[in-house]
Amino acid sequence: MSDIVRRDPRKEWIARNRLHPEHFAVLAELGGEGASPSEWIGPSGLIRRNPRAVGFIGPNGIKRIDRSGGQRGAQAAQGRRSQAGPTRRSVAIEEPAFLIAVVPDLAGGRLSSHDRDLLGLARQLADADPERPGAVLALTFGSHKETAFGDAGIDRLMAFDEAIFDGYAPEARLAALQAVERELAPRHWLLPDSSLGGGELGRRLAVRLGERAATQVWQVEADAEAPSGWRCTARASAGANDLRRPLPRVALALAECAEPVSETHHAARPLTLSQPLPEAFTRIEDGGAVAVDPAGVALAEAEFILSAGNGVRDWDAYHHAARTLGATEGASRVAVDDGFMPRDRQVGATGTWVTARVYVAVGISGAIQHLQGIQRCDKVVAINLDPGCDMIKRADLAVIGDAGAILEALVARVERERQGAEEQRDVA
Amino acid sequence: MSHDTTKQASGGLDVAVLVSVGRHPLTARARRADHDARAVELALGLEAARVRLIHAGRNDPDSEAALRDYLGMGFASLTRIDQPAGADVLPALLEALREAAPQLLFTGSRAETGEGSGLLPYLLGEALGWPVVTGIAAVESVEGGTATLLQALPRGQRRRLRVRLPALISVDEAGPAPRQSAYGPARRGTLSAETRPAETDDALAGWTLEPARARPKRLKIVKASSARERFKAAAAKAEGGGGQVLTDVTPEQGAEAIFTLLKEEGVLRH
Amino acid sequence: MLDILLPILIFSALALAAIGAVRRIRLWRQGRPSPVPVLRGLAAVPRRYLVDLHHVVARDKVMSNTHVATAGGFVAAMALAIVVHGLGLAEGVLGWLLLAASATMFAGSLFVARRRRDPPARLSKGPWMRLPKSLMAFSLGIFAVTLPAVGVLPADAGGWLVAVLLAAVVAWGLAELVFGMTWGGPMKHAFAGALHLAFHRRPTRFSVKRGGEGRSTGLKALDLDDADAPLGVEKPADFTWNQLLGFDACVQCGRCEAVCPAFAAGQPLNPKKLVQDMVVGMVGGSDARYAGSPYPGKPVGEHAGDPHGPIVAREGTALVDAETLWSCTTCRACVEECPMMIEHVDAIVDMRRFLTLERGETPNKGAEVLDNLIATDNPGGFDPGSRLHWAADLDLPLIADRGEAEVLLWLGDGVFDMRNQRTLRSLVKVLRAARVDFAVLGNEERDSGDVARRLGDEATFQRLARRNIATLSQYRFDRIVTCDPHSFHVLKNEYGALGGDYEVFHHSTYLHTLIEAGALSITPTALGRVTYHDPCYLGRYNGEYAAPRAVLEALGVELVEMARSGYRSRCCGGGGGAPITDVPGKQRIPDMRMNDVRETGAELVAVGCPQCTAMLEGVVAEDRAEIKDIAELVAAALGDDATPAPAASDTRRTTEEVMG
Repeated sequence: MSDIVRRDPRKEWIARNRLHPEHFAVLAELGGEGASPSEWIGPSGLIRRNPRAVGFIGPNGIKRIDRSGGQRGAQAAQGRRSQAGPTRRSVAIEEPAFLIAVVPDLAGGRLSSHDRDLLGLARQLADADPERPGAVLALTFGSHKETAFGDAGIDRLMAFDEAIFDGYAPEARLAALQAVERELAPRHWLLPDSSLGGGELGRRLAVRLGERAATQVWQVEADAEAPSGWRCTARASAGANDLRRPLPRVALALAECAEPVSETHHAARPLTLSQPLPEAFTRIEDGGAVAVDPAGVALAEAEFILSAGNGVRDWDAYHHAARTLGATEGASRVAVDDGFMPRDRQVGATGTWVTARVYVAVGISGAIQHLQGIQRCDKVVAINLDPGCDMIKRADLAVIGDAGAILEALVARVERERQGAEEQRDVA
Repeated sequence: MSHDTTKQASGGLDVAVLVSVGRHPLTARARRADHDARAVELALGLEAARVRLIHAGRNDPDSEAALRDYLGMGFASLTRIDQPAGADVLPALLEALREAAPQLLFTGSRAETGEGSGLLPYLLGEALGWPVVTGIAAVESVEGGTATLLQALPRGQRRRLRVRLPALISVDEAGPAPRQSAYGPARRGTLSAETRPAETDDALAGWTLEPARARPKRLKIVKASSARERFKAAAAKAEGGGGQVLTDVTPEQGAEAIFTLLKEEGVLRH
Repeated sequence: MLDILLPILIFSALALAAIGAVRRIRLWRQGRPSPVPVLRGLAAVPRRYLVDLHHVVARDKVMSNTHVATAGGFVAAMALAIVVHGLGLAEGVLGWLLLAASATMFAGSLFVARRRRDPPARLSKGPWMRLPKSLMAFSLGIFAVTLPAVGVLPADAGGWLVAVLLAAVVAWGLAELVFGMTWGGPMKHAFAGALHLAFHRRPTRFSVKRGGEGRSTGLKALDLDDADAPLGVEKPADFTWNQLLGFDACVQCGRCEAVCPAFAAGQPLNPKKLVQDMVVGMVGGSDARYAGSPYPGKPVGEHAGDPHGPIVAREGTALVDAETLWSCTTCRACVEECPMMIEHVDAIVDMRRFLTLERGETPNKGAEVLDNLIATDNPGGFDPGSRLHWAADLDLPLIADRGEAEVLLWLGDGVFDMRNQRTLRSLVKVLRAARVDFAVLGNEERDSGDVARRLGDEATFQRLARRNIATLSQYRFDRIVTCDPHSFHVLKNEYGALGGDYEVFHHSTYLHTLIEAGALSITPTALGRVTYHDPCYLGRYNGEYAAPRAVLEALGVELVEMARSGYRSRCCGGGGGAPITDVPGKQRIPDMRMNDVRETGAELVAVGCPQCTAMLEGVVAEDRAEIKDIAELVAAALGDDATPAPAASDTRRTTEEVMG
């Protein structure tokens, strides 16, 4: 169905003229198949009215009555709905002038927002000259769950999914990148400067290629004087300084270095190397993950803290909740003083200053020292009986009620979610 | 008194730690660099190891005070390779390391001054032909030419690695918290200077280093396809300014609201 | 026969005592040298004993009288016995005097015996339990052998058997009281105590005839320029010899134990045991023979040491465990209470200095706090450029802009604490209402160094102090006013040794002078029952008990005193870095203090210290009394119409007149 609305001035005129003999017929036609007339002539010749059918539901969910006669709400809404998903322009680069190689982290098997930002940056570099566009080549290691590579701005996709690349395999991965370098010689190598992914691999690659990589890059601008045509700004001196230099061949960029691709769809055409990879000599062996109890994670490092205070009665249930949620345990001073929690778990100005993304305060009223200690937390959730306490004022979300019952319900909710996810996995 | 003397007696593993002069993020005062100090702490935790400290850099009062902070962790001496300002310390370090030939070399993940690119461990590893492992939180054992290490993953998780010696281990903030630097040993310890050829870092000299600018906060870009959506995005209430308070809800409703927030923030593991 | 026996007994006891004295002195001299004025010190003993020591002992009237009778009787009896029996000069009144002296001593020993019947827990048992019997043996024996000498009884009354019996009793008494004085035993305190008074390392803490404060509470500075000088005390022999002498003077009365907040909280510290452990270390051996209360949670008999061995072991046990030393809040209650004038806090800080400066073993958050002090000049690690952020709206005058001010307001590290900022705001409001010409250092101010010094980091203390002194020397001001008693004490008493001498006022004292001068119009308001908590560093350290109470009185407050107030005030638990080192106990010191408050039925505790405010406000309890700083109470009594407008430049003269 075409999205273009064609207007018929005559029909609109009839629709506005309630006395026109064809009025209802036209209204019904304009209102769409589903629209029922609000007025009609009953079998006895009387005019019947259905007041509920008057008007239409507007796009914001509010009922509107259009006295102009053209009750076009339903149709308009339908029309707009089909437009809602912004259509992306499809771009296919058949003969790229050059390649920009990107090695996304694919943390958790999907493109992270950091990866997407980096691909956005790669697109900037590739599309700078519309006459001679380059292609963005993404190299992935190991298995992944990502399906929307094209939407992220990837023209060519090379997957290294052999078992040797799984886990921690910097030597094998480096050998693969070297093979790509030999065969395709990308103009730039871009990697996310993340601590245990691109940050490491990128530095290894730069050293192997003999390039002095730009690290912690957060801005790339065109610069005609630079050899590569680009110059970059990078954090230096552990974040205290900025270093401005021409963009080298290998760059490791921070998150938000560029806007992710949002308007185009790219081909993400699979690509393989013509030569098989040489056997890599490994001196680093991955011994696998070691189980670590989240409760043992240092408070200052934790990103999700379930903190307990005076209002917690059932400590076993609290510990169980922390385990189920996978949260690091914290405590108010009182809970520590009363001996329910060890001293190294104390949060606050006199304990540990925490920087968690989510801080859930269970039964903590929020002494001023405690609030100081959680200043740098992003989201604070409070569970408390007293709606007037200071923690509630600080919290982004506060639930007033018995901490024990709410924690229990939360645990049940999370477990239900997890079961659901598992079943889905089994089905798949 | 000092750790190195006690460790020397037992012989065994030869360990070197590269240390640099750090800089406090708030006051910019010279201090021991955090990552390097953690690397020293990790090295001090090794059984029967001879640990020596090596620094390459400028010789000035500020750096001396910072280097003495490392001595205060229990060392009688530290080797300082004097290099002029703006020198590339890599050749001098390589020369010193080839002479010292340690079995394990510890470094911090990046310097707190200058470029601080974090490339040095990899450059050294490449030039010496040693494997480089990063983000190490603990050394479990060193036996038969192989070290078993624990590498720190996000959220406090750990991964076990085995690496062939000689190897280079780089340490970041996941390393063990460094012990207190004591005034007495710091004052007594000696900084033994070594002179080695210096090479100027010409590339760095050509770039501009300036105090870090605040990065622009990313705006929420609303891809609005209609005027109404654009209006809604523009008129949306700013976030914050008092959170949502749920009173008189059942525990289940409260739990649901919290659950939604936890999901949105992505802190629940699957 | 007694005529022959008694001189032999007396002179052999004296001779043995002399040998013992030499041995004892040798033990003390193992310590490091510390020059003292020998003759002047000895000459000062009677006054120090009769005035200063008696002043402390007299806090317990019964015990004081008992001691006067027993000790006075003994000294007189012994002196007379030497003359009467030793030299055989029984003529005239001497014998009668000897009878009177021994009778007095006997009366005293009866009281000693009564106290030993059911002794309080703080008293040591063991050899001390036989002391009343020894005293009685001596006094009765001397009394009996003197009766023939004055002619009440015939010279040969009772025959040789009685004579031998009496001689044996006298010998027992002499052994305990003369020989035991120098060879160890309960009476050691008399010998060592007298010399301790003579050679005390803080001669200025004693009163002098001319008057004066008689107070010396500042810690002694380490000489950091001398690379060979030891950094603190590692082994008993590292104490100065007169410190060792001081430990040896301990009479084990346990008054220190009774007032120690850490001991009461069940933390592993007992000042009496600590001093005894130092004696054990000086002599060499184990603490198994100690017969008093142990460190809470640490059985007696597991620790041993020697003069040249470490006090705190790196691993395992030595003389004392580190956590014992870190339990101390440096509240000085033990020192205040000690009748032998022993300096417990000095000793503890000396040993802490070694642990921090040589071993780098400041426990818990200690190391982090010290690192912060080194890197950011404040214990919290805050940006030193943000010291005045709390007062962005107050427009505080900076002394750097003006060069001089009458009052330099020392804000302290409370500027980073949201609770203390309320106190500071109140103080600023009051100063402005009184039109005081004041200014602040702003970002030029640094931590006073108090915490670093109490944590044993003398190097950081001296660095901070010297920088502060250099900053202060750039400006002209008449006096420093601060609402932090810790800064107050350090600025007033500890900067002097490093070249900084200032007139420093605690804000309560200064507010009192303002009120006295009529510079503040106060509308008394009903505050209900109010009690006042004396901060250790204001009260015991600096003797200021009156001014805060006078201020409260001027506010029209109904002041009720806690059972422990004034010089006996119980610490809040916040001093000496105790909240930082955080040694676990059975209960918390501030909780005990708030119980003291509850017993008075007060609804409000007035305090004068940011540390006390934080500690006491941290107590979570039903119907806990409110905690307000004196500055807040005064500010509230000013009403809202007291405009906190910046003082105009021409008001300075009037302020001076008021102050004059």
